[in-house]
Amino acid sequence: MRLTLALALLGGGLAQTSVAPALRIGGVSPDIPLILAVFLGLSRGAEVGCLSGFVMGLIQDAAAGGFVGAQALTKALAGFAAGQIAGRLWVSDPLVQVPGLVLLTFAEGLTRYCLLQFFHFPASFGDLMLYVVLPQALYNGALGAASVLALSVAESWRSGSLWR
Amino acid sequence: MVSLLLLSLGNRGGGARRPGDFIAVVITPLEAALTTIHRSAVGVWSAYLDWKSARRENQALRSEVERLHVQSLQVDETQKENLRLRRLLALRDRLPLSTVAGEVIAKEWGGWVRSVTVNRGRSDGIARLTPAIVPEGLFGRVVEVRARAAVVQLLNDPSSAVAVMVQRTRTAGVAEGDPMGTVRLKFMARDGGIQVGDLVVTSGLGGVFPKGLPVGWVTAVEDRGSALFHYAKLAPVADFARVEEVLLLTGQTGADLFPQFAARPET
Repeated sequence: MRLTLALALLGGGLAQTSVAPALRIGGVSPDIPLILAVFLGLSRGAEVGCLSGFVMGLIQDAAAGGFVGAQALTKALAGFAAGQIAGRLWVSDPLVQVPGLVLLTFAEGLTRYCLLQFFHFPASFGDLMLYVVLPQALYNGALGAASVLALSVAESWRSGSLWR
Repeated sequence: MVSLLLLSLGNRGGGARRPGDFIAVVITPLEAALTTIHRSAVGVWSAYLDWKSARRENQALRSEVERLHVQSLQVDETQKENLRLRRLLALRDRLPLSTVAGEVIAKEWGGWVRSVTVNRGRSDGIARLTPAIVPEGLFGRVVEVRARAAVVQLLNDPSSAVAVMVQRTRTAGVAEGDPMGTVRLKFMARDGGIQVGDLVVTSGLGGVFPKGLPVGWVTAVEDRGSALFHYAKLAPVADFARVEEVLLLTGQTGADLFPQFAARPET
């Protein structure tokens, strides 16, 4: 199980620089590591969410050539927050998971912007929120919804097969 | 008895053919029907054999078409790669400084950071801030160097800023990336004059990029009420989404490189 998790984290981290550019729609690409970190947080708790967010964020930071550690921190926080929410709210419903993913993406973007201000990140707040964070949050939500649907279909098919 | 009776009736003449006629009346339609059935059966069987053979042939032809299609795609891909590499090689030969060709192996396209990773690193003599170019012009600069890979910050990265000038008027300015993925021209003196369609090239100031590398075309001029400066939008000459190979400029030159790009052959 740990090996599967480690492979998923490595794959998720690398997917952002290999698969995500191909999923671009109108210049917006999804944040695959963030989606994974949030879902792992929701399904396995705050510690796993935090750790997976940290590992995948670190891989992303190293691969992209940005500020190493920035995404590791913000994604770890997002994974941790997802795990905390899972312990307090009813989150097994996709109608809670998907808007939660959109909100957490937005919060992660906001946190990252605040963090990068310490390093004089030059992009304007309005442009970044309007053209990067908001479209990406919506894209993450749509992709998350599709993933939840695919997982539930696969699960029901599997349980149906086992029943027979 | 019946046979003898029939024979005697036959020898008598006159109505001798009546038994034969009677039998013929019965068997002729049967013969015809049997012949039809036989012919149909033979026809169906031969059609089945034909269909079976055609099906086999069809399957063989389909797999052949599939194989040829894959082969044609491979040839097409190789031809395109060949064309790209020939253009890169031609540019490399024209440039008066040492270069290293690199292949793009990963892309980061999130909006916060726009960069690509190329398969050339410290072991190939790549250093931080090495300019990366494509046959059309400037692509970006190296911001991270690893043993066998380097991260190239694209021109449209929000943290990218390049000293440029308008090629027609030689007016200096700064080309900056933004979160939308476009490139904006800033701090260009108003008296210099700038028009839509002007080509912007690197000015060579700052010492990072050689002078004369094409950067982009002016697509819109915005004054934003500023009394001192022009602001403009640029369409970069490089198609960042499609670039697969780049040239990394490892050498230094004080020469204006614009003629090397302006004189590039049509492909």
